[in-house]
Amino acid sequence: MKLLSLMRRQRSLLNCAPISARQLADRPMRSAISRADGSAEFVDQQNFDRAVARVVRLISIPAESAEWFSEKDLVPVSKRTWKNTLRNPAVLAISIAVVVIAGVFVFNFVSHLDDFPGSATARKLLGVAASTRPLMLDPVNAEAGTLSDLFFMKHGLEHYDVPAEFADFGTIGCRVFEDDESRRIAQIWVSEKRMQFFLFPAERDSKSGAVMRFPGWRYVHQEGWTGAVIEHSGVCFMAAVRGVDKDLQPYLSQPKE
Amino acid sequence: MLGDPRKAQEVFHATLREAAVRAARGELPSEPFWLFRDARWRCLEATKSDLQPEPVEMDERDVAPKAESQIQRLDPIQLAIWISAAPDPQRSALALFYLDEFDYQEILDIAELKLSELSRFLAKGRRQLQAWLDSKFPQPSKV
Repeated sequence: MKLLSLMRRQRSLLNCAPISARQLADRPMRSAISRADGSAEFVDQQNFDRAVARVVRLISIPAESAEWFSEKDLVPVSKRTWKNTLRNPAVLAISIAVVVIAGVFVFNFVSHLDDFPGSATARKLLGVAASTRPLMLDPVNAEAGTLSDLFFMKHGLEHYDVPAEFADFGTIGCRVFEDDESRRIAQIWVSEKRMQFFLFPAERDSKSGAVMRFPGWRYVHQEGWTGAVIEHSGVCFMAAVRGVDKDLQPYLSQPKE
Repeated sequence: MLGDPRKAQEVFHATLREAAVRAARGELPSEPFWLFRDARWRCLEATKSDLQPEPVEMDERDVAPKAESQIQRLDPIQLAIWISAAPDPQRSALALFYLDEFDYQEILDIAELKLSELSRFLAKGRRQLQAWLDSKFPQPSKV
């Protein structure tokens, strides 16, 4: 049925086939002509049409009217406008694809704009913070700043120091664990706003092994949690809280960079 | 469309006058073929008062290879009269098509036809014209 209607349409198009190549045909017409090209019936039709058009051109036009046409075309060849080009389905599809790709690129670019060495680890640890329950930590009732010694003496972790801004906060518990890359992470839970602190090794250059430093506090966000991260002596400290940047801002001595 | 140079001239001037008035008022339509559509309607109006041909079934013949030589012998005025005698919208379809100035989509737009209609009118027109040519320039019968 579909084939029949397709053939009928092709037949209809062929009956309207342009007389001269000047009438630029659209794709369906070109396709119909290319299928019929060479068939005796179509050749006869084209010869017939050309002959009639030649005679029509000889029909005399009154001089008064003829001067209006002189050498000019009756219909100027329409230029392809931007509107028409944009309405072309192929152009439309490509444009949408380009916009989506550009959107993804911009999104990735913007989301990585705030990245810093260790931001990926910090984000993972925000996920840990969200799933940590108090029972999972060893109960410790002390000031957070004093735990550096515990980490050094008990676990051999050097420079795992809580910055002065958070050193006075009373702790609820702490633990040391290894992440999926066997890095040793210290986690401290404090009573202030139920904040959690994390101390973890700073990112190192894969070739030289040098610590990749970054200045000041940097923010990371994950699953409704916000972390403020600072690097010192090859160790990163992150204060994590469920909330937004402004929940941490009052505690930070330096402005965000 | 009219087969009458005097009437054609009148329609032409009336159409131009209309275009000039609209242009002066800044009311030129944005559709590209309004002028031709307007001219077509004026042609149809102009022939309304004429004697109308009785609807008769015209002879039809398949387009023949010899048609080209028959058409060459045709007087252009005769062809114009033959086309103008066709009932509309077939007349519009034939006139617009053989002017060789418009592609089929433009003709559909100007004559307000569907593709299937235009196709039918052109095919029928060719066959009728062939029959007329055969009657006008009969081929010597081969023995």
